Amino acid sequence: MLKISGLSVSYGGLHALEDVSLEVAEGEFVTIVGPNGAGKTTLMKAVSGSIRGATGRLEFRGRDMTSLPAHQRAALGIAHVPEGRRIFSSLTVLENLELGSYRRAARAKRAEGLEAVLALFPVLRERRQQLAGSLSGGEQQMVALGRGLMAQPDLLLLDEPSQGLGPRVVEQTFETIDRIRKSRRLTILLVEQRVVEALELCDRGYVLETGRVALEGAHDALLADPRVQRAYLGV
Amino acid sequence: MASRSREWLAIAAVVAVGLVLSFAVTERYHHRVLTLVFLWATMGLAWNIISGYAGQISFGHQAFFGIGAYVTVLLAAKLKITPWLGMLGGVGVAVLAAVLIGTPTFRLAGIYFGLATLAYPLIFRIVMDYLGYQEVAIPMMREQPGLFMQFSEPRYFDLLALGILAATLVLSRIIETSRLGYSLRAIKENEQAAEAMGVDSFRCKMIAYMLSAAPAAVAGAVYAHAILFVVTPEAVFGVLVIVQTLTVCLVGGAGTLWGPIIGAAIMIPVSEILDTTVGDRLPGIQGVVYGAALMAVMMYAPEGLYWRVRSMILARTRRSVGAARPAPTAAEVHATTPAVPAGARSVLMDVRGISKSFLGLQALSDVSFDVREGEILGIIGPNGAGKTTLFNVLNGFLLAEHGEVHWLGKSITGLQPHVICRLGIGRTFQVMRLFPHLTVLENVMVGAFAHGASPDRARVSSLAALDLVGLADRADVVPTGLTTLELRLMELARCLATRPRLILLDEPLAGLSTDGVELMALMIRRARAAGVTVAIIEHTIHALVRLADRLVVLDQGRRLAEGLPGEVTRTPAVIEAYLGTRWLARHGAPQHAEDLRP
Repeated sequence: MLKISGLSVSYGGLHALEDVSLEVAEGEFVTIVGPNGAGKTTLMKAVSGSIRGATGRLEFRGRDMTSLPAHQRAALGIAHVPEGRRIFSSLTVLENLELGSYRRAARAKRAEGLEAVLALFPVLRERRQQLAGSLSGGEQQMVALGRGLMAQPDLLLLDEPSQGLGPRVVEQTFETIDRIRKSRRLTILLVEQRVVEALELCDRGYVLETGRVALEGAHDALLADPRVQRAYLGV
Repeated sequence: MASRSREWLAIAAVVAVGLVLSFAVTERYHHRVLTLVFLWATMGLAWNIISGYAGQISFGHQAFFGIGAYVTVLLAAKLKITPWLGMLGGVGVAVLAAVLIGTPTFRLAGIYFGLATLAYPLIFRIVMDYLGYQEVAIPMMREQPGLFMQFSEPRYFDLLALGILAATLVLSRIIETSRLGYSLRAIKENEQAAEAMGVDSFRCKMIAYMLSAAPAAVAGAVYAHAILFVVTPEAVFGVLVIVQTLTVCLVGGAGTLWGPIIGAAIMIPVSEILDTTVGDRLPGIQGVVYGAALMAVMMYAPEGLYWRVRSMILARTRRSVGAARPAPTAAEVHATTPAVPAGARSVLMDVRGISKSFLGLQALSDVSFDVREGEILGIIGPNGAGKTTLFNVLNGFLLAEHGEVHWLGKSITGLQPHVICRLGIGRTFQVMRLFPHLTVLENVMVGAFAHGASPDRARVSSLAALDLVGLADRADVVPTGLTTLELRLMELARCLATRPRLILLDEPLAGLSTDGVELMALMIRRARAAGVTVAIIEHTIHALVRLADRLVVLDQGRRLAEGLPGEVTRTPAVIEAYLGTRWLARHGAPQHAEDLRP
């Protein structure tokens, strides 16, 4: 479904990604782990189109989307749940979610999409008239996830959903992702620092190390591979 | 240097042109225009010292202009003191006012300084009204017109105004080439970085403010005698004074002595001529012209005509010099680590129990470690571990709530950054803080001024520092064209130019390619071989494992581990911090490095 070949990104001479190639098949759940500064967020942004100036090739369902702007990629069915949630804190929960269904294909199914999201996160139904900024960190993450789902995407990009959350909430977040995965036909590309939790959920994983793919493999193979540790610790 | 004598020649040429014009012009009205050009150029140059060079935008510079005018005229009217002496009194009062205004306001950052300066001319206007000086006429002294600056020949006013313009040009030029000038430009580009390079920013700004008050006061005094004859608060403290000054500087370009000259030479004649030719039919045309000129400049040359033209010329010449340059290679073998065991080296810096919190978030809690002479100490930790906060405490940007930092046995807790820098502690920044309008060499020279070098000696020692990091051939370009690696090397050179015994490097390897990391590591080893102790922050352990002699690991503001790189990376707490509890539970801590081999 998604094919990235030879992707390089640099910010004013700073190499964030160097010659990264990876693939995500239809319906697959792929995780990218790696230490801070490995380029995980940059990779997500390059896929969703929120950074420009990447070199290499991005294909979505066989179609070259390298030069498409972000909104046209969204229209193709790619939803990006960014790092740090980036919800609209002065809007209500409901308004946040509705903004997710901006894409034409999603607008038609807004009502049922909303119902599905609220069924997935019952607490958001209770809080739907509350300002999103007044929610707890975990609830805000639900809003961000829900907003992504409202776009009725085919490919969901999740960037560090566990960031800044307490241990129990992290667990709940990963459970939610698992439920989303099981409840609908969706391809997921997840970026995480939490190695074990993220690899346990997925089908396949990549380890990113200072802008390059250091390792790839099935999730259980990576979980058992001591080389993953080397990507983080250098030895 | 050729360019330095060229600047003096150019100043002489400007004065010569002024002289020729004042003798060529015959009409009284044209003399008036010429006098105004010289006076507003002077006023612009005065403003330029504090706002152009030092970047402290003053919206109240007419305060000094008005003080100069009022003091001179009042001394003549009340005490019959000649304005030639009275002017000096005006300068004295203006400089004193600068100190009084500057002392509280220079502690305000950025825009707030400008806003605060707005208030002072208003205050002076009210004071003048209160004292009953709504109108002060210059007393007529028909017996001694020369002594009382009352020339019937308008050419003398041209020459007088040209004289103060020439003096202000010379003053500006001296500032530009002095330590003060480099320090001011460094403050303008980045005050924090300047402080870290040893620049006492408060003192420099104050001196600049005093130096810029003096010509403004003289210009005010001459303006009163040549143009006004009756001094009113509106005429000398009014908003039109600062509008004229700003227009002249912004159109011509701030931060250079040529800007105000160019701006005055264009704007004053145009608006004066328009005012007299169509002013009766279109009253207020002067204001319209100023507004339109400012808008045009903002749109097409936001830095002013001088900088626009200059960058156009530079762009043309740089194309021929740029590009093709062989990158320095990491050919040199890794310098060997000194054979002295780490424990035996003397302690250079002793960090004891540092705690720091921001709005309840504990950034550092009870962090202790020491830095030993001649070592490369790596400080690692995931994002948010408190590494940069730690450096900010060590170099004096932040004050810790608890704990002490000792340098060579003496406490340096609470000292200003520039003082700490002068004690021998240099630092670089994670986000590179360069001075974009200075050349690479000049950037480094700002560092060299930390130990009180003259510009010439600073140039020599800065070239040596650039040579050490392999950047000598880039000395004369502006840093905006440099690669990340070159910028990092330049920052290292700037830091080394402060002659530090210890350098604090904030993520010097981040974002570099593999080759870049190698080269940077090589340069850091070189610096160490030259006798400098090094402390490096990084969030990736990779490069540091090979570069550092010892590692200190921070996590969530706490010191997690300390020791040799090989030991630290096998510490369970470190593995947990980087890979999580569950990874540790699955894999355990490896006993030997062999366990990790594929």
